[in-house]
Amino acid sequence: MQKKGINRRQFLKLTGAGSLVAAAGTIGGGLTLPKGLWAATPAIKGPIKIGYQTVLSGTLAGYGEFHKMGLLMAVDEINAKGGIAGRKVEVEVRDSTLKPDDAIKNARYFVDSWGADFLGGIDSSGQALALAPLMDKLDRVLIVTHAATEKLTEDFVYRKGVRQIFRNCMPTYNDGNAAAFIAKDFPAVKWATVSPKYEYGFTCWKMFRETLTKLKPGVSFTAESWAPFGTTDFRSHINTILDAKPDGLYSTEWAGELISFLKQAKEAGLFDKIRYVMLPVGAAMDVLEGMGKDMPDNLWISGRYYFQYPNNKTNNEWVARFRKRWGHYPAYVSETAYSCVYAIKEAVEKAGSKDTGAVIQAMEGMGMNSPAGHRVFRKEDHQAIYDVPWGKTKADPKFPFKVMGDMKVLPAKEYFNRPPFEGPGTTPPFK
Amino acid sequence: MMQSVVHTVLAGLSAGMFIWLVASGLTLIFGVLGVLNFAHGSFYMLGAYMCYTVLRYVGPDFWVALLIAPLSVCIIGYVVERWFLRYVYHLALPYQLLLTFAFVLIFDNLAKMVWGAGSVTPPDLSTLNGTVSILGRNFPVYNLFIIGVGPLVAAGLWLFLERTWYGRIIRAASSDREMAASIGVSVPALFTAVFVFGTWLGALGGGLAVPYVGLVTTGMGETIIIEAFIVAVIGGLGSLKGAFLGALVLGVLTAFGTRFFPAFDMFLTFILMAGVLLVRPQGLFGTAR
Repeated sequence: MQKKGINRRQFLKLTGAGSLVAAAGTIGGGLTLPKGLWAATPAIKGPIKIGYQTVLSGTLAGYGEFHKMGLLMAVDEINAKGGIAGRKVEVEVRDSTLKPDDAIKNARYFVDSWGADFLGGIDSSGQALALAPLMDKLDRVLIVTHAATEKLTEDFVYRKGVRQIFRNCMPTYNDGNAAAFIAKDFPAVKWATVSPKYEYGFTCWKMFRETLTKLKPGVSFTAESWAPFGTTDFRSHINTILDAKPDGLYSTEWAGELISFLKQAKEAGLFDKIRYVMLPVGAAMDVLEGMGKDMPDNLWISGRYYFQYPNNKTNNEWVARFRKRWGHYPAYVSETAYSCVYAIKEAVEKAGSKDTGAVIQAMEGMGMNSPAGHRVFRKEDHQAIYDVPWGKTKADPKFPFKVMGDMKVLPAKEYFNRPPFEGPGTTPPFK
Repeated sequence: MMQSVVHTVLAGLSAGMFIWLVASGLTLIFGVLGVLNFAHGSFYMLGAYMCYTVLRYVGPDFWVALLIAPLSVCIIGYVVERWFLRYVYHLALPYQLLLTFAFVLIFDNLAKMVWGAGSVTPPDLSTLNGTVSILGRNFPVYNLFIIGVGPLVAAGLWLFLERTWYGRIIRAASSDREMAASIGVSVPALFTAVFVFGTWLGALGGGLAVPYVGLVTTGMGETIIIEAFIVAVIGGLGSLKGAFLGALVLGVLTAFGTRFFPAFDMFLTFILMAGVLLVRPQGLFGTAR
């Protein structure tokens, strides 16, 4: 590790020097002038630089690749049509490694050495919470595209006023609150969980319990089994659940760990005994494709975006373009990464400036169209409000994997926590 | 309650056997060559990827995959020992660690380039598919098979090292290199053979993990190598007997921790290691040096 640190420092010096030379070149060699409509906007100088970090190593590296696909698509599309406010978009992607201190190192590199105008990405809640306190010093707009903890927007943006942070992906409200709205209609009264043993798992389960208890007094929560990050063997966790004999199982396991869990639970006969299963991130493409035909039917799944919703021209055309370019269905992080660049485009063009203060003002309350549907960045907490579907896994001959059937779409407004985020009337159900 | 305890033990035993398969190669290599091989987890990962590849592109016959995959990884093990590791035997331990750690990064990235960054899932296998009902709860046949394979490997290793001529040579070379060389043993060739055999054990563990875990990812070797190191330390570095016992204890303890003391499950392993090291710094079966 020591060695790596030295290399990085040397690397920083090199790239820092490099960008100085590049800047000198631009000044000396004549500016690339903005064209068309934006020719008269002198406020924006130089390219729009986005520093994006996501996980590119380890077991979750697949997520990073899917981020990149969406990101590059947006950048290429925008640059082909004249850029943002007539300025070229440049991105650099760095490996976030999922470690909190690396999230900070990357952000510092982007801002201090590379000269980023905007920051994007961040997969883990722990990383988001580590980076959040620094954002007012770094003073760049950060659009979080994957980390879901509600504490990021409730505590840091709303309570502490770190206005540089925005989030365009679904927060835990969908995993916790919306799941409870779906689960209240089941005859199940005894619930148990196998979930990740870190912030994301804890906060979702707490939200699910609290909301479900309000919606359906009399439900009980009989067992919880927490799987540490990197768990590949879920047999003991499955035993805990089978011993508790619940009617319903709720699990925020995700990615490869969810695949292992589902396969092992299926072998142990868990789905024969427990009929109501809620997987708030089960509709992720890596899970659907990874499970293939092995995915049990009638599990309730959702995600931050699901490629078959909304069934409209914008989304369907985007999915087709995405498949044509990358040979994959878009993962939810592909959509959020793609929409992140477009959010920056809309905000900069609305503000007529790339200065952080002006962009923040433009983004607060801003609405935009995106493949996932209409998004609005809520003014108070900078959380994007948009709808995602829940549904039951079912086979479809058109796909080599199970898809979402019986889709239910709850309006996000009905189940997102509301400012001021404490006291009565801030958590669902709302009157 | 009975059902729960029995199933927890079974889950622990099958998990422990995987740790043993990885730890056995690690321990053998350390015991004979004196090298702590960080890249051993990579051999486990490569064994899994090769197994997946054979299943996907040659045919869904698990036994064929289990035969071919570990052998193909042995070629990589051979290259690593013959053209890299051999040149650092005489250097201090940190250099060896640095080299083997470099291989971890190289293999992780190679796997990413060859098989993609996401996880890959093997096709459905009919081999040892299905479950048996034990006290009224399903237990996968495959896991019972794993519980059987572990002791078989242990017995095979013991017979080989204690009862064969080659085993005696290996033991001789590990206790005194110069003496072995002076009576005509080709120590470099022997080291290569032992390293390749250790590689095979690690890759076999990886291959066996494919149906067990249900998916193959880069970085999958990192979790298991840490457990294997813990087991090797508990058992006494270089002691196969210690590694076997350590793996069993760790597997079962972790399973009980997860099931009955979930608040402490991540500490139990380290408490066990700390406890053993306090009482016996050389490990359960290690010899004080």
